[in-house]
Amino acid sequence: MTMTTAIEVRGLRKDFPVREKGILGPRTLKRAVDGLDLDIPRGRVTGLLGLNGAGKTTTIKILATLLRPSAGTVRIDGLDAVADARAVRRRINLIAGGERMVYTRMTGRENLWYFGQLYDVPKADLRRRTGELLDLVGLSGAADTMVERYSRGMTQRLAIARGLVNRPDYLLLDEPTLGLDAPIARDLRRVVADLAAHDGTGVLLTSHYLAEVEELCGHVYVISAGRHLAQGSPAELKAATGSHRTVRLTVTDPTERTRAAADAFGATRETLPDGGELITLRHPGDMAGPLTAAVFEAGGSIGGLEIAEASLEDAILTLAERGEAGLAGPGSGRPDATTIRPGAATAPPEAATAPPEAATVPPGAGTAPSEAAAAGVKGGTP
Amino acid sequence: MPIAWATAWRTWQMTRRAYPWTYAVGTVLPAALTIALAHLGFHVIGGGAVGDDFAAGSGTTAYLAYIVVGTTAFHFAVRLILWSAKALITEQRQGTLGALLIAPAGRLPYLLGFTGFAVLSSVLEFLTLGLVVAALGITVPVSSVPGALLGALALIAAVFALSVGLGGLMIAAGEAHISQNTVFIMLGLVGGFTFPRDYLPEPVRWFAELLPTTSAMDVLHGSFTGGQSLPELLPRLAVCAALTCAHLFLGLTCLPRAEARAVERTY
Ligand SMILES: Nc1ncnc2c1ncn2[C@@H]1O[C@H](COP(=O)(O)OP(=O)(O)OP(=O)(O)O)[C@@H](O)[C@H]1O
Ligand SMILES: [Mg+2]
Repeated sequence: MTMTTAIEVRGLRKDFPVREKGILGPRTLKRAVDGLDLDIPRGRVTGLLGLNGAGKTTTIKILATLLRPSAGTVRIDGLDAVADARAVRRRINLIAGGERMVYTRMTGRENLWYFGQLYDVPKADLRRRTGELLDLVGLSGAADTMVERYSRGMTQRLAIARGLVNRPDYLLLDEPTLGLDAPIARDLRRVVADLAAHDGTGVLLTSHYLAEVEELCGHVYVISAGRHLAQGSPAELKAATGSHRTVRLTVTDPTERTRAAADAFGATRETLPDGGELITLRHPGDMAGPLTAAVFEAGGSIGGLEIAEASLEDAILTLAERGEAGLAGPGSGRPDATTIRPGAATAPPEAATAPPEAATVPPGAGTAPSEAAAAGVKGGTP
Repeated sequence: MPIAWATAWRTWQMTRRAYPWTYAVGTVLPAALTIALAHLGFHVIGGGAVGDDFAAGSGTTAYLAYIVVGTTAFHFAVRLILWSAKALITEQRQGTLGALLIAPAGRLPYLLGFTGFAVLSSVLEFLTLGLVVAALGITVPVSSVPGALLGALALIAAVFALSVGLGGLMIAAGEAHISQNTVFIMLGLVGGFTFPRDYLPEPVRWFAELLPTTSAMDVLHGSFTGGQSLPELLPRLAVCAALTCAHLFLGLTCLPRAEARAVERTY
């Protein structure tokens, strides 16, 4: 029946009328979204990134049929978001971390029941689905408690369940983990990833937690002042902005051979006060292993190894600063996140002084690809 | 109409939990006081007789019965407006307007649910007014029972129609207090609730004719103290029906714009 199964945004623009001084001041137009093109297919989490005021919430509200576009079109599975708003609303839902979206004077279960009615969920399904959703967000125990007695996180979890009550084909998430504590945020990420992978839900996600975006999103749009800045997978964005991972290798007994080995990689060298040498290599790929091996084979003793991951945050900041559009061709595959050597011995003092964004990740911590990791390796003379 | 029903039920649940019973007393008391004061004024100051112009305008000399019908209808109308017109702005203040607007449910059944709840709860509250009226020894004559019932329905429909537009105005302006009180004062002054419109200047009378509540009140007064039969009431009922439809159509047409404006205004 439908031509495409995706949300297609073309030339989207939104102007807000604003009055400069008081209610009698001159009326001007504030352009919040300025000619955006987006594709949000089913079965993928698509990210929408930008600094504060970039136009993310405005865009999401237009997709959710809350705001009308000033120009451009939004089609959801071929349906127009303005002309066919009613049909579109059946297929989408919105979870916004900044808004309450549930009734405080009703219990969690009553809230889901009422929204189920608004979405015309068949009576037989609704009871089961309500139970499942409460379970999913961990509120089964508080299902019959009034929401006004919920904590902020619990209310937010109920708002998430509300956003799933109609089994949306497309889920719009505007900072959904805002104010959630880490375990709950992680659970939500798992649910979102699952919805996209198994149920084929198309998800649009905005978040200021870039690790979250990096973990979930197959494709990311970066916008600034309502305009398109860049798009691609997180890895492509990082590659395109020249965001390299940094390898810092300390050699305790530098020789001509170790220097030659380092130079062969194009690394920079720096003599340390204690007579050692710090070799720094910035590269998009994972060069820690080869570099360490080469120096080691050249007879060097490794005093410490530190790897700072390229972060999406750096990439976004660079993009926003440059304010430039367009990207180089597809970059290399997504670099694997953290390199932790199983045989890593005790970390030398140097590794402890990690750069601000670097975190020390203990081996075996199966966390999300962290933005930075430091690990120490101590080698002996051959 | 599951949405209307669900909304009425939800509102009942939320109200039951949040409002103390004194709230009901608070709504009935003003009406009871108005009637009691009228009773006092009529007997103590007026000497128990009405002026000729009142009799000519209202078609009755049963002043107190006229006041009872008018006051009850007015406070009933105020209650309905407070529930129906303020439904959306209350959602906005609670932070649930967005969740409501992105749902595919229509706004008409939603608002009908509010009005349905308001009618039921108000009828219960206003039954207590009957005690006050009986205690004061006021008898209210009824000339046409079907006319009175149709008049009551007409008033509910008319107030509902007004509330849709008013509710839109409230969310668009982000303000309820001034809007609602303007409407209450306007209705009280020109709506023909507690005194005949003949006392009003000509242009105001024409303005009053545009409000669907005015003809509804003519039907109500006519079927209680006016001594009119159902056939005599039908023309005014027809006027009320036409105006109600017009107001409802206007309100429902403007509501989406008002909702869009409400979302644009808050960020
Ligand atoms: N209702 C409105 N009326 C006027 N201007 C608005 C309105 N909503 C947003 N704006 C303006 O439009 C721009 C984009 O706002 P928007 O909320 O979409 O940004 P955002 O990317 O979601 O930012 P954040 O990261 O802070 O959530 C901002 O400059 C904002 O001031
Ligand atoms: Mg935002």
